[in-house]
Amino acid sequence: MFAQITERKSLRPKHLFIYITLALCVAASLYFVYHNHGWYDRPIAEVISTKIVESTEMEDMNGNKDTLYSQQIVAALKNGAQEGETITLTNEYSSSGATDQEYHPGNELFVSIDSSSTGKTELTGSIEDVKRDTYMMIIGWVFILLLLVVGKKQGLFSLITLGVNAIILSFALDIYLNSADISLLVVCSIGVILFTGISLLLVNGFNEKTYAAVVATLIGTFMTLLIAYVVVGFTSGNGLRYEEMQFLTRPYEMVFMAGILVGCLGAVMDVAITLSSSIFGLYEKNPAISIRALRKSGFEIGQDIMGTMTNILFFVYISGAIPMLILFFKNASPLGFTLSMNLSLEMARALTGGIGIVLAIPIAIYTSIFFVNRKKARP
Amino acid sequence: MTVQLYLAAILFILMITIGGKKGARSFVALFLNFGVLLFTIILMNDPNLNPIILTLIACTLISCISLFFISEINIKTVTAFLSTIITTGLLLFFILMLTDQAMIQGFSEEETEEIGALSLFVGVDFVKIGASMIIMSTLGAIIDLSISISSPMREIAYHNPAISQKDLFSSGLSIGRDILGTSTNTLFFAFFGGYMGLLIWFKDLSYTIGEIVNSKVFSSEMIFIGSAGIGVALAIPVTSWITAYYLVKRRSESRDSGGR
Repeated sequence: MFAQITERKSLRPKHLFIYITLALCVAASLYFVYHNHGWYDRPIAEVISTKIVESTEMEDMNGNKDTLYSQQIVAALKNGAQEGETITLTNEYSSSGATDQEYHPGNELFVSIDSSSTGKTELTGSIEDVKRDTYMMIIGWVFILLLLVVGKKQGLFSLITLGVNAIILSFALDIYLNSADISLLVVCSIGVILFTGISLLLVNGFNEKTYAAVVATLIGTFMTLLIAYVVVGFTSGNGLRYEEMQFLTRPYEMVFMAGILVGCLGAVMDVAITLSSSIFGLYEKNPAISIRALRKSGFEIGQDIMGTMTNILFFVYISGAIPMLILFFKNASPLGFTLSMNLSLEMARALTGGIGIVLAIPIAIYTSIFFVNRKKARP
Repeated sequence: MTVQLYLAAILFILMITIGGKKGARSFVALFLNFGVLLFTIILMNDPNLNPIILTLIACTLISCISLFFISEINIKTVTAFLSTIITTGLLLFFILMLTDQAMIQGFSEEETEEIGALSLFVGVDFVKIGASMIIMSTLGAIIDLSISISSPMREIAYHNPAISQKDLFSSGLSIGRDILGTSTNTLFFAFFGGYMGLLIWFKDLSYTIGEIVNSKVFSSEMIFIGSAGIGVALAIPVTSWITAYYLVKRRSESRDSGGR
């Protein structure tokens, strides 16, 4: 008990330092996003007052009732040559707000100033977009702080891996876009090897357990990609509606495949490290344990995690399509058409992810047993 | 046959071969959950129903299917179920506030070409639908995390009958910490895999950092990832506390009733 107290005391200055640094970072960055208007080239205006000048009830061709509003906004410019001057803007919005929204005093907007109105007493202009960087900063900090408070050291490690992975991903895409003859799939495959190595080694350290997980993740991920590739090739993509990716000027199928590869990676990695650390844990507790017993426990754990793990990917992918599904339904599209139009890619992604998770179970078990055997064989 | 049917068949065969009876049940659960989700989305079309309440009901049903149908009803699944619902509820209000403030509901400029022919004034509240979408996408991860914490906690309580509620709670936290990294990674890669096309598009059009950060599409994706992480991190103390509380309470009850 006493030892514990002294230990805690001796750690205090270091902890205090970390807390103060963190608090300063939070305060400084929040101050920055609330006062960074000068950094933007586009004019920014803060809404001072709003007035609804017109409201109309409407009904569209499918019988949906909505109300349209027209809002007169007076806002103050926060940057550029006209800083401090007020500007009058008009905003049209609907109560459903699918692509529009009501603005309130305090909201900050990117605007364009009508050139004809410069020099006159009253500026007019139109609204381009909302300034959202403040909210990005807030959610970013809530995420980081919560991960640190709950996760402590492991939380810090997962933040670092997330950051490193994001940088690698961005870098990989840059390489793909700047060179005409490298396939996206090749770039992402190299990326996958780096992600796996960095994420697992950084968190779990250099040991047999991690090597087993790395090997299992790579085999599992690439086997899943192969299955997806064969199925898509075999059916010549029947049932995949690439319309969703219409904005892309790149080959859809390749982008879709790369998405599958990256999308299932996290889940496969999760399964692989869970199984390898349980199998190594069992072996370390009882080095005399038989291979058969290890295999049996491995499959039992695998069966336990299989259901909820496949669910994760299912919900991530399908939920993203909810607004689009509702819009289609509301526009009287038939059920089958709506689903195949909006869910074809998501379903394919969720199913391949599931295949990856289930495949990873035996692969991780046998790889871990192979590494356990190798460890046993060493004197 | 379509790609999806082939993939579903492969998944089904794999789940049965590797998971046996439990695998078959996991597969059925997947489709039951999909049914609940679809039904909820159809109900959301009615402007008189509140999407937030629908989401909470759907989350309850989905957690029941994922926990009680795959594994049976026992103290592990019951505490996991309770903590899933509580975490989801807490998260829901935070997300609702944020989607409203950051105005990321509905569709972005980048998507307007696709929906150009559709009427956008459909009378449902897209702010609330946006919030339920974010919650639903995190739900799978919250359920997974809750059961991954409550299950080993029960083992610990079983092997150490004298353990205090506080010690049990802190062992729950430490189990949670070990899973935290891999769970956030799973979500991160899943989101980025899904948004790969969008990322390439951003880079192709060479958006500036200022444009990317403030765009609706990027902001909503960041809020997705952020709230998924927040949900997962929040689920750890909630599950540990509820499971510790229930395990200790049940132990003292059985002791009072004659120590069975």
